[in-house]
Amino acid sequence: MLQKSSLVLRDGTSLDELVMRDKNEVSLRVMTDKELYHLEMERIFAKTWLLLGHESEIPLAGDFIVRDMAEDNVIIARDREGNVNVSLNVCPHRGMRVCLGEAGNKPIHQCIYHGWAFKPNGDFIGAPVEREKMHGNDVDKKTLGLKKARVHLYGGLIFATWDIEGPSFDEYLGDIKYYMDQLFCRTDSGLELLGPPQRFVLPCNWKVPGEQSGSDGFHTLTLHRSLMEGGVMGGTAESIYDQAPGMYGVDVSCEQGHSLRCLEAEKTFKMFADISFEGKSTEERLNLLTPPGITKEMIPELFKNLSADQVEQLATIPPQVGGMFPNILIAFIFAPRTDGGSSGALSLHTYVPKGPDKVEFVNFIFAEKDAPEQMKRDMLQNAIWNTGTSGVIEQDDADTWPVIMRNARGAVSKDMTLKYKALHGHERPEGWKGEGLLYPGFTKDDTQWNWWLAYYNLMSEV
Amino acid sequence: MTWITKSTAAPDSTTIVRGLTSKSRVPVGSPVYNLIVETLYDEAAALDERRIDDWIAMLSKELVYQAPIRITRTGKTRDMDVMRTMFHFDENYDSILMRTGRLQKSAWAEDPPSRCRRFITNVRVGKCESPNEYEVVSYLFLERSRGDNPENESITAERRDIWRDLEGSYQLIRREIIVDQAVLGISNFAIFL
Repeated sequence: MLQKSSLVLRDGTSLDELVMRDKNEVSLRVMTDKELYHLEMERIFAKTWLLLGHESEIPLAGDFIVRDMAEDNVIIARDREGNVNVSLNVCPHRGMRVCLGEAGNKPIHQCIYHGWAFKPNGDFIGAPVEREKMHGNDVDKKTLGLKKARVHLYGGLIFATWDIEGPSFDEYLGDIKYYMDQLFCRTDSGLELLGPPQRFVLPCNWKVPGEQSGSDGFHTLTLHRSLMEGGVMGGTAESIYDQAPGMYGVDVSCEQGHSLRCLEAEKTFKMFADISFEGKSTEERLNLLTPPGITKEMIPELFKNLSADQVEQLATIPPQVGGMFPNILIAFIFAPRTDGGSSGALSLHTYVPKGPDKVEFVNFIFAEKDAPEQMKRDMLQNAIWNTGTSGVIEQDDADTWPVIMRNARGAVSKDMTLKYKALHGHERPEGWKGEGLLYPGFTKDDTQWNWWLAYYNLMSEV
Repeated sequence: MTWITKSTAAPDSTTIVRGLTSKSRVPVGSPVYNLIVETLYDEAAALDERRIDDWIAMLSKELVYQAPIRITRTGKTRDMDVMRTMFHFDENYDSILMRTGRLQKSAWAEDPPSRCRRFITNVRVGKCESPNEYEVVSYLFLERSRGDNPENESITAERRDIWRDLEGSYQLIRREIIVDQAVLGISNFAIFL
């Protein structure tokens, strides 16, 4: 018997009636309910680790960017000691935004309203006309800094949380770290963001793209049918459902709700289908087909930064797409080009809540820092052509999600359910080295259901 | 206007381009000006009416078609707000063909198709240094209606073009689309600007 959640909405509906763990169904009402949204902001977005950007955006002391942790605007700044700080962009005096620009370099952030000034690390410096003590007669200046978030850098990615005493970043990642390391912590110089992110707002709840980021594999064959019609993936328009390219692999996941789909390149893309990997060593395989974003010159670095087992997986069945709970999508894909190149596309998205019926889609595009300039140029194009605002893959996602949202408003429609009943169940493939929850074979609903269980668990914690 | 800077997420490496760069103005109402405005109207109509082949015929095989992102800046960097390191569109002739080819297949983002109106105004024209080429700067206001949603999506932008005179008709060889929003209010660019 499953223990019931203590979360009950004002009209008497409990979380158990919305996320139905006994049936693997979720009520469509979760997409529109305003009360639930406010609880999500407190119990998920004000608590868990959130992705904000990448170290390469702020290389110098004083460099800053401004981003959002859900609807809380924050300044991410590098101080003179080289540390990355995340502070709430709300003046503790009268609530104005302290930093109005999106990016730049400032040794001091001064609020334009009454002039209170802060260091890049958020510490209060002072207010104008010091002798008149605008900051208060008997107030210690140390208490007047910007509210500080807890920061963790992972492969240069900047994560932050308001839960100062809560789980560490490694605890948040859990067993998925072994697989994420293969994407984010594999080279000596690491990743670099190729430019500030693309940003656009969609009229839908954050969970509409959120649940898809739990590695929805099935939708690829139909929503992204044009990929198969274009001849990039294996198969033809007529044989999409028979051949189902890119569907067979190993889905990996963990109870924290993160997941990745690991796929063999030669079974996914037509252009790699004829490469013979039979009897080849890991190093030989890597030389025959480098993982997305990696050059042949970087292969020795893979062995240096990862374990032999991790490199072997990267060479044979690399993680390609997936997500981190609650709102990150990962697409580190081969992205074959029409000109025959396959330098890959490395994109991360965050789906930032902006109210119950709005989500900001932020698209970060990366390359390995040590990649040649021309390869970075190609990878930037690959990512723009496939993902984000104009990407031919994600155009179709962005068109679909708002329609689901409009559907969710109907008095009858809101009681319809999202179904996650195509389950494989955890099974360790023979010879598999990594930990976590494993789902080999045809991609199923398991990882997305894990996403909803992570949601249920955080929403049930007080 | 093409990608000449090194890739970087640091925003201060961007360039500022304002007004016409050409020193040789083609006056409003002159024969060449009128023909170019007519071309812009014809192009807008081809796109609005989804006559994609007619639009492709107006594009040069050397086409560079880009839409850099905008960001909000303050103080001494306030004018450095067009990020020519990151784009919404970063296209050449072949990638435009890839995109338009997809529209003939299962491109749900435009099937059913949007109903669009492209309003082109504030057209300024100058002669380029190479003969037969014209710098054309125009404003674009685009309204997009989708499905039964009564709320249109819209976008405003400046377009910085170079058009080549091919004895009576003009061909687009460069377009830089400078959108005004740092955060777009349009759900995707499955349409062209």
